[in-house]
Amino acid sequence: MTAALLDRVATSAERLRSHGTRLSPSLAAAAFVLVVVGTNLPWATFSGFPGLMSLALYPAGSRIYVLALAPALALVAVRFSRRRQAGLAATLALLAVVVQTIIAIARDGGGLVNVSVGAWVTLLGALLGVAAFVALPDDGAPLPRSWPVLPALVEALAVVFAVAASLALLVYALDVEAPSQFVGFLLALGGGLVALNRLGLFEWLGALYARRQALTLVLMAAAAVTFPFTQGGSSYWLRVAANVGVFAAAAIGLNVVVGLAGLLDLGYIAFFGVGAYVAALYGNAGLGPSRGHLPFLAVIVLGALVSGLVGVLIGAPTLRLRGDYLAIVTLGFGEIFHTLVNTYDAYTGGPNGLSNIPDLRQGSFDFGLPHTVFGVELAGFANYYYLELVLVALVMFVFARLNASRIGRAWVAIREDELAASAMGINTVSYKLLAFGIGATLAGASGTVQAHVATQVSPDSFVFLQSVFLLAAVVLGGMGTVPGAVVGAAILIAVPEKLRAFSDYRLLLFGLLLVILMRFRPEGMIPSRRRQREFHDADGADALSAPPGSAVA
Amino acid sequence: MSLLEVRDLRVAYGAIEAIKGISLDVEEGQVVTLIGTNGAGKTTTLRTLSGLLRPVAGQVLFDGARLDKLKAHEIVARGVAHAPEGRRIFPLMTVEENLELGAYSRKGEAIAQDVAEVFERFPRLHERRAQKAGTLSGGEQQMLAIGRALMSRPRLLMLDEPSMGLSPIMIQLIFDTVAELKAAGTTILLVEQNASAALALADTGYVLETGRVVLTGTGPDLLTDENVRKAYLGED
Amino acid sequence: MQQFFQQLSDGLVLGALYALIALGYTMVYGIVQLINFAHGEIFMVGAFGGYTLYHYVLPSSLPSGIALLLVLLVAMLTSALLAAFVERVAYRPLRNAPRLAPLITAIGVSIALQESIRLFYPNGSVGKPFPQLFPRGTVDLGGVTLTYVDLFVISLALVLMLTLRTFVFRSATGRAMRATAQDPDTARLMGVDTDRIIVITFVLGGLLAGAAGVLQGMIASPIDFKIGFIAGLKAFTAAVLGGIGNITGAVLGGFTLGIVEALATQYVPNGSALKDSFAFVVLVLVLVFRPTGLLGESVRSRA
Repeated sequence: MTAALLDRVATSAERLRSHGTRLSPSLAAAAFVLVVVGTNLPWATFSGFPGLMSLALYPAGSRIYVLALAPALALVAVRFSRRRQAGLAATLALLAVVVQTIIAIARDGGGLVNVSVGAWVTLLGALLGVAAFVALPDDGAPLPRSWPVLPALVEALAVVFAVAASLALLVYALDVEAPSQFVGFLLALGGGLVALNRLGLFEWLGALYARRQALTLVLMAAAAVTFPFTQGGSSYWLRVAANVGVFAAAAIGLNVVVGLAGLLDLGYIAFFGVGAYVAALYGNAGLGPSRGHLPFLAVIVLGALVSGLVGVLIGAPTLRLRGDYLAIVTLGFGEIFHTLVNTYDAYTGGPNGLSNIPDLRQGSFDFGLPHTVFGVELAGFANYYYLELVLVALVMFVFARLNASRIGRAWVAIREDELAASAMGINTVSYKLLAFGIGATLAGASGTVQAHVATQVSPDSFVFLQSVFLLAAVVLGGMGTVPGAVVGAAILIAVPEKLRAFSDYRLLLFGLLLVILMRFRPEGMIPSRRRQREFHDADGADALSAPPGSAVA
Repeated sequence: MSLLEVRDLRVAYGAIEAIKGISLDVEEGQVVTLIGTNGAGKTTTLRTLSGLLRPVAGQVLFDGARLDKLKAHEIVARGVAHAPEGRRIFPLMTVEENLELGAYSRKGEAIAQDVAEVFERFPRLHERRAQKAGTLSGGEQQMLAIGRALMSRPRLLMLDEPSMGLSPIMIQLIFDTVAELKAAGTTILLVEQNASAALALADTGYVLETGRVVLTGTGPDLLTDENVRKAYLGED
Repeated sequence: MQQFFQQLSDGLVLGALYALIALGYTMVYGIVQLINFAHGEIFMVGAFGGYTLYHYVLPSSLPSGIALLLVLLVAMLTSALLAAFVERVAYRPLRNAPRLAPLITAIGVSIALQESIRLFYPNGSVGKPFPQLFPRGTVDLGGVTLTYVDLFVISLALVLMLTLRTFVFRSATGRAMRATAQDPDTARLMGVDTDRIIVITFVLGGLLAGAAGVLQGMIASPIDFKIGFIAGLKAFTAAVLGGIGNITGAVLGGFTLGIVEALATQYVPNGSALKDSFAFVVLVLVLVFRPTGLLGESVRSRA
């Protein structure tokens, strides 16, 4: 019954497509005109809707996103094999933005009568646009498999530009105040990204990054070092950036565990917490039983070592087992850490935690005070920011060395097929333990800094959801790559930082993000080559060995 | 019209094409055998016919109807049974449960009678009917695998390496069983490395090499073919 | 001594609950080798389904016996539908993906479900007093006090578990489930639609989880959006304790864990504050000393 129906739909779509080559360009052109005209007409009959929607000839608010997506209509004229999918993604996003905005206007204004002519014109344009791509036949030359090689600097700059563009989009997104407009932004962004992905942009960037890794990293480092000088002495973004640094270092550590060795650690934040408590108890806060004041460098090392030791203690008995048991055991460990810190409050302060942790001091250098460098005053947080930069650089260095080493190859072997790896003579348990211990050590080190950046530690900063948060950073950025973890941490820290209106939805979005990423882009935004191949080979095998029903799904 | 027609079948694992355009026919009541070395694509062919693998191109017609787009369980329901390589009995279930699963695609009627028939054919299984199948010997497991495939009352029975890893006595018993099934009119597609025994039984044989059919003929013809004797029957 | 028996019987009640949830973990793991992280949330949403029916739909004049029955049914259906939905939308597309992918998806689903209830259920961040529809009263068994509710919880759990056992070991569908768990490809060669069997497995797990949700409401009202997390972890521990993939094991593991927890809470210093940690200690000990669990066979190697 449904099968017959689907058949009929398929045949009529096919018939439509046979006319499509002739029909699509005119549809697309009509759509483009309607969208441009529509966005320059008023969308709301009343003033006050975000984006000055009652004004004509002033495409602000969500109308900008609609306009930004409109050039995708030109894809009908390009003979690329994936133009249809790309165009559909873009036009469907366009349609979604229009519909969502119409709903928002109707809700705010009290009915559809308050939706003005511009919105309807644009809606018609959006529908025509979708129709243009639905009608398009699936043909055209396949995308080139390999791209021409450009000069090194150009390629590296392209990657840096892409990263900068995403950070700029991020900063823009932070300025979007109105919830309805923000939703519109997300819809447009999502559709745009899917379209660009279909056109192979991210593949290309990934290839560029792989080819020009060293130069790209140097350029990014240069950008990172100059960043505080652009802040005009203000500390707001530096504080955010310092936090990003803390979490980026931890995320790279987690990336060793998850991305390289393929071990899912769901209690990772507890290792971070161990480091933070070590810093609070034995650092210059001197809250520990000995009231001792260790110098900062000693504290970092101590925090890293204690955390690493705990990691080995947890890992040793459990790493002999299959990976998914480890996930649960680490989760349990995280919960136990939280409970213990809460319960045994003699030194930990129990649920209240430890506060008033003073700024770091190394010799006579106080991290809390602003300093003037090259005639530019840098706010106090710049010190932490640079400290984090050094820490991240160090962690990245460790990561890169590990990845390229014998150890890294052993991890890949274990991740791909543990049985085969052990048959090849790899001592899987000790390699897994090594990954786990290194991850814990790195988390501990960044935890010690976090205690000072946040000036306090409390058990509620080290809960399961924080572990998920780090995991999301790793997955979003790209499992197994360093910039991936950094970008992931940046996005996940910075977005909720400003979006107070959405902070309540933060966790929900995390959850959905994980699901959607695993479904559509499991290798993350900046994939490692190995990872990408792995995930996409799996796709290939999918078509073969999966039951037909699941292959379609 | 043949019961099973395979036309220019192509199957790939990722980028590697394992079957590069195979065509073959199985007539009703015939025994057809596929022979060839490891990696020739025999098992891949059977797994594709029964829907475990998806072909990249080509057609499979069973009794005139397309099979290559159907799911594995739908193919079983059309009357194609597959006793897979390595026997793959369900080790934690009893012999009897294994047989009942073989009849999963049928509804209700006369299953008990068919179980009894299998027990009649293989008395050893009857003795062990309440035992976990994982505790059976290799030969007994193979009997179970064949019996289980028969439980769906197939119009086409596909056997993948039924003699693999068995003792000479067991091998004899298994080939005797195939001969009996043939005598009873069962249509059989047999994949074997034991080429001489298979060809001796077969009406038609196909020789596969790296995913292609390189030679076709009646069983007796292939048995006496010089190339076949050299390559597959171990004679110089 | 009397206190010991009192804790023991409290442990049984708790264990019945864990066992019901653990069954869902163990069946799903047995069939698709996935730790369905969201199972705790499926249990929680079931409890909310039952609550919703009582609070918003049922007339207050309805006799409490019928109301309880309806609440139970709706909770079970809610969880079952949700489980099937999650399988279809989130897990099935990843059937052949690397192992990490579905596990991360499961975590995402778990968080999304918790947050959806918190954000979108009317006043969802606040605990809801679960309707107490079962007659109050206690039975005194030589100094050990059990409420009627306790007895109801244990007996309903036992009935459901026996029904499940019968289904899995006696029916043709149950046989197909076991076949799929042992060797999915060969099960398909037998004519088993494994996709359908997997959905049925999720649905069965959901039905039991939904019932557990109502029982949870009866013994530990109020319910809130967080109850699934800890309960889910403990139930998973119970499944591992019993031998994951093993239905009888999950029941045994559930009761064992419930009893251990009740006793430890009483006898370990500072026990009630550490209540939720014992399960993990048990989990780690089991994994170290007997990773196959109490009843688990040696781990099958899958070809």
